[in-house]
Amino acid sequence: MTRLPAALAAALVAAAAAPGPPFRFVDHAAEAGVDRVLLAGRPGKDHLLDSTGAGVGFLDYDRDGRLDIYLVNGWRIEGDRVAEKGRNALYRNLGDGRFRDVTDEAGVAGEGEWGQGVAVADVDGDGWPDIFVTSFGANVLYRNLGNGRFADVAGEAGIESPGWNTGAAFLDADGDGDLDLYVASYVDCSREDVLRAKPTLSWRGLERVAVGPFGLRGAPDRYFENAGGGRFVDATARAGLDDRGLGFGFAVRAADFDGDGDPDLYVANDSDPNSLYRNEGGGVFKEVGTWAGAALDENGAAQASMGLAVGDADGDGGLDIFTTNFSEDFSTLYRGLGDGFFEDVARTSGVGPATFRPLSWGTAFADLDNDGDLDLFVANGHIYPQIDRHPELIGTFAQASQLLENTSRRGAPLFRDATAEAGPGLAALRSSRGLAAGDYDDDGRLDLLVANLDAPPALLHNEGAGGAWLTVACEGPRGEPNPIGTVVTVRAGGTAQRRDVAAGDSFLSTHDPRLHFGLGERETVDEVDVRWPDGRRTVARNVGTRRVLKVRAGR
Amino acid sequence: MTLSLRALSPLAVLAVLGPATPADAQGAHAPATPAEMVATYHSLADGILALKRTEEDLCRAILAATSAHGQVELGRARRAIEAGDARGAQAAVEALAADVGQLATEGDGAVGVVRKKLLDGGHHHNAAGEAQGIFDEGFVIVTRAAKGRLLESARTIGQMARAPRAEALDAEWKKVQAVVAELLKPEP
Repeated sequence: MTRLPAALAAALVAAAAAPGPPFRFVDHAAEAGVDRVLLAGRPGKDHLLDSTGAGVGFLDYDRDGRLDIYLVNGWRIEGDRVAEKGRNALYRNLGDGRFRDVTDEAGVAGEGEWGQGVAVADVDGDGWPDIFVTSFGANVLYRNLGNGRFADVAGEAGIESPGWNTGAAFLDADGDGDLDLYVASYVDCSREDVLRAKPTLSWRGLERVAVGPFGLRGAPDRYFENAGGGRFVDATARAGLDDRGLGFGFAVRAADFDGDGDPDLYVANDSDPNSLYRNEGGGVFKEVGTWAGAALDENGAAQASMGLAVGDADGDGGLDIFTTNFSEDFSTLYRGLGDGFFEDVARTSGVGPATFRPLSWGTAFADLDNDGDLDLFVANGHIYPQIDRHPELIGTFAQASQLLENTSRRGAPLFRDATAEAGPGLAALRSSRGLAAGDYDDDGRLDLLVANLDAPPALLHNEGAGGAWLTVACEGPRGEPNPIGTVVTVRAGGTAQRRDVAAGDSFLSTHDPRLHFGLGERETVDEVDVRWPDGRRTVARNVGTRRVLKVRAGR
Repeated sequence: MTLSLRALSPLAVLAVLGPATPADAQGAHAPATPAEMVATYHSLADGILALKRTEEDLCRAILAATSAHGQVELGRARRAIEAGDARGAQAAVEALAADVGQLATEGDGAVGVVRKKLLDGGHHHNAAGEAQGIFDEGFVIVTRAAKGRLLESARTIGQMARAPRAEALDAEWKKVQAVVAELLKPEP
């Protein structure tokens, strides 16, 4: 037997004892059986619809405690004809790292529409999560029948709203106990416009690429008030949500940005000022984005915003907003100043320089290393495949997604690009769009589901060393899962972390509805404080970590 | 003014040019652009420039009206503060902040739609200023620098809304007025 030199042996022992890297993601989509290809128009992406891709969602549709997956799909076009209408997919989590395609038995393939986004919520309050799919065409609302099957009720609900619908968010805007719906719209155009489109816009005088959104007319967003009995009514004007700027709307997120107890709305617009609609109470909103500091970047310019994330990035207790933008521009971090005011800190926080080159879409604030703060994941990919002929200029159509580690200290948000040390899952180049974060194997580490154009999704399994964690699963008084608008604050060792339950987030996507908290080395938390949508609270004290904590309203 | 260029049909062009003349009888001179066409172009140019001035006047009017509205809201805020009407004061101060935001963006979102329409059609009022980084695309009066100052004031005023003090409001409004006065100063 050969004897190892003492120093080498000591090094090997130390290496074996040391924890793994904080970030390590491996794409398990193929092994997991999550393989539905996202159809995305023509190879040349002749129209913007060919390039926008679609969203993804994590949900527990059968309430077996395991996180399932929903993928939205588009169409494939050859020349000027529809070659294939893609089918959305529902994958049931089998609990052993694999998923089974249950689309057909569940009846949720998308009704032949060109799908865009997904928002999951218990719309009818029967305790089962329903699936709302936005479309280029008529929207679809899959009512969960509770027996593994769904039925499309969008028509009778009055929310089909044909057009180019994109992001959607459910919220109880008027505080009446049921969920209302905001749906963003992108461009006013017809199917014929899409099929006839040719790449005629000059890109740097080198290539002809798809036209838009400049030169196209924006379509108005819509707000639907829940009228009860499974019906919604268009209350856009009455609610003060007129989209006067006809912004090219993409992502939507509802959250209590001003801390007054009711949900506000933030809309990411492509090439137009973003909108912040402040809830004035009673389901009436006021657009305050420009003077609240959340509509434009630090230079006063509107950006081409695609996706967004909302969370407390700097641990000061207030919500911050991160928007993803076009290539050769910063993605923007709007730091919350309190009372619903914001300032752009993209430059000083490092997120701007780190995201300047790629074209960014889906995103999430998520504690990916369980160290107690929110990191950022950003899904990237260009819209012009023609740039592949000039990779030296701004890279390629397929791009690497990014992980920005939160290194904030003393309330000043600070991030660094940790992509290179985040494992093989982030080394792949893809043209990615929708993104959802969720812990599909319940190991306490958040995984990531990413939609990729003309390819299957990536299911990035988190294999980082990680620290302690706590996942909070909220239930309403009748056991209804994850009431939208619930806010959970976890206090431990003098620090507080806050998360909220949302339906509609990222880029046309929906995250795991359970709320995940990374806790570093803490084995207990002092307090889990749940504020329910009706304002009541439930508090649990001295809670052990590394577990899923179920909290039910009224108990 | 409307001028239909379609009126200049090929026949009309031929009438202006007159009958074709053999080259040898004309000598070696390049043919002159017909005077009637040049005159028409002059008229057209006057019209285009007049329209551009009208656009500028309209944008000045938008700023002046918004500023006047802001002045009214400031008065309303002052009265509400004096009367101890916190809710009224908050509403007025927020309306003032919105006015200042609209000064920064040279109108509200609906004006933004018009601006996009003009840009889509290739019209840049301040093309040279945009190239030099003085103006954002499509802006007619409000420079980038002024926009930045106005946006900052808009947020500062908005942040005062929950507990406004008349002196602080006056001071911030004075800053706004100085920026607007500079923008609306007649060109030499």
